Amino acid sequence: MKLPARLEDAFAAAAGELGQVTASWLYLEEVQRVWPGGAAALREALGRTFPVADAVFAMAEQGRARPAVDVTRARAALAGCTEVVLVGYEADYVDALLAALPACRFAVLAHSALAADFERMTANHRGRLSPLELPRFQSWAGPRSALLTFLYGTAGETTHVVPEWLRALGPDVRTQFRVLVGWEVLQGPLHVFPRWLEQVELSSFTHLA
Amino acid sequence: MAATALALILAGCIVLQALRPERRLLIVLSGAGLACLVSSLTGAVTTTRLLAAVPWDVLVLLVALGLLTEVLAASRVFSIVAVRATRLTGARPGVFAALFSVGMFFVSGLVNNLTALLLVVPVMLIVFRQMGVTQRYLSWCLGVVLVACNLGGAATPIGDFPAVLLLGSGAMQFGEYLRLAFPLALAALVGVLVAAGALARPAQDVETNRLAARLTVASVSAMHRGLAVEWKYFAPGAAALGAMLAAWFLIPSSTGVGPELIGWLGALAALLASGLPGERLVRKRVDVEATLFLLGLFVMVGAVRETGAFAALAQWLVSLPISPLAQVAVFLVVAAVLTGIFSAGPSMAALLEVANVVGRQHPPGAIYVGLAMSVCAGSSLFLTAATAGPLTQALVERAGLKGPSGEVLRFGFFQFAPVGVLGFAVILGVGMVSTLLAVRG
Repeated sequence: MKLPARLEDAFAAAAGELGQVTASWLYLEEVQRVWPGGAAALREALGRTFPVADAVFAMAEQGRARPAVDVTRARAALAGCTEVVLVGYEADYVDALLAALPACRFAVLAHSALAADFERMTANHRGRLSPLELPRFQSWAGPRSALLTFLYGTAGETTHVVPEWLRALGPDVRTQFRVLVGWEVLQGPLHVFPRWLEQVELSSFTHLA
Repeated sequence: MAATALALILAGCIVLQALRPERRLLIVLSGAGLACLVSSLTGAVTTTRLLAAVPWDVLVLLVALGLLTEVLAASRVFSIVAVRATRLTGARPGVFAALFSVGMFFVSGLVNNLTALLLVVPVMLIVFRQMGVTQRYLSWCLGVVLVACNLGGAATPIGDFPAVLLLGSGAMQFGEYLRLAFPLALAALVGVLVAAGALARPAQDVETNRLAARLTVASVSAMHRGLAVEWKYFAPGAAALGAMLAAWFLIPSSTGVGPELIGWLGALAALLASGLPGERLVRKRVDVEATLFLLGLFVMVGAVRETGAFAALAQWLVSLPISPLAQVAVFLVVAAVLTGIFSAGPSMAALLEVANVVGRQHPPGAIYVGLAMSVCAGSSLFLTAATAGPLTQALVERAGLKGPSGEVLRFGFFQFAPVGVLGFAVILGVGMVSTLLAVRG
């Protein structure tokens, strides 16, 4: 059994539109269906370029299963909010969050280091998630609005986020939103240089989920 | 003098718009204005009469069919079908190319292929990226799909402008055109698919890996996991299309209820049933560019027709010292080549006038359908001959696909050229053989 050549390009497309954690678990599970020991090969093929995928495949090598998506803490962090702006995208987590908060309006910042078609991504949510350009970003600010991003590999007082979070979160923005929520989605450590991500202090968030 | 000036304006505009497609609308509208001015000043015909002679029924039908396509596109049905087709093929390269070609043939026979392609090609591109395709596969797969779109458009009287013109102008009835053209277009599609598969073998250097196929299907499914048919658009759109097809078949034109009125009422019924979004579609999604382009062409062609130039050209054709069969063959080949150079709209608008004369000496239905097939062949010759070509080219460029060695994959004039030549030869061959057989019989 061998992996297809040029897997990186295909994975980048999937990770751009599904999120790196969601795409990594999807790839892993598909490969393991026909090749139970495929995690090591996937890690070898993709790990150096995609640190999140590397971490997921490492977890699989250690026998860890895909963690269930638990929205309890995210829902609690967003209590009182009617509008939520997502900075970054993880399909499994966004699907669950939208289902858990049916009364909220959601938007996603339409910028990503990995190429993505935001029209196609948001079409999956049947009008409940709108793409939002950076210049219009602050039109969603307000006392009942939240900013939420996904965290990758929280360790100690630091974690990793998509670079767009730093672009969006200037000092003037912090006070314009009710809460700034970070939601850990990797649930394991990063082992290689965190390409595609930026390191931030956990204290920069008002709530962690 | 007026005849020469008007013919020069028409020919000049057709050449100029082919050379400078980015300014084609201004070129054609300027030419139309100039033709009106020359006609009025020379006393050949007044502007009022020229405008009155514009086949407004054709324009109404085109706008109506375009809007109906927009209603169906808003239902997301094209994307959903594309994703399901991907699953059905199991991401096997050869099957994928064939299924999408056949699918787009049928879609293009019913709705505007430009809108349908805009929704289907992005799904194809994401599949290509997951599959890891080669330049050869990309060129042939997309190329054959474009040729299939052209053939689908020629297969039915509502598929594309040339056929719509025949229907709208009353040259042919709905059922008659469908009966004559559909089998030919289908035969040509089979011919193109078989020839492409045998001669070019597009999928031969695409890696066929079981894991690659699994990952492709899983990724594409996940990327479209929440896509569902928007019934508020699909139900009225599909119902209106069904009712329109039935009416086109069943209501004779002697009742005064022509195809354009059926199209108008059907599209409006679908838009009204869609509610407020229907109003938005009418305001924002009418293809003004195509409508104004054709309006300009019709005015120029009308001005030249008034001078009797087309009748003289047709007379010259039928007086060539060759057999009547050879005259028809010359007409069909010239029509195909002119369409390849100048695109379908201008060619069909001008050549229909000649076909009307040629059709007096032969079975007119065979001549009109032969002309439609020739125009279809010409539309398939170059990437720029049909509007879907540049659109697909732009979508591929935006996708930034890479080949096995990391090289950027392209879909431009030269990549399409071999497919275009093959499509041109097969379609023209099928059209000519069937037309000549019908004329001889």
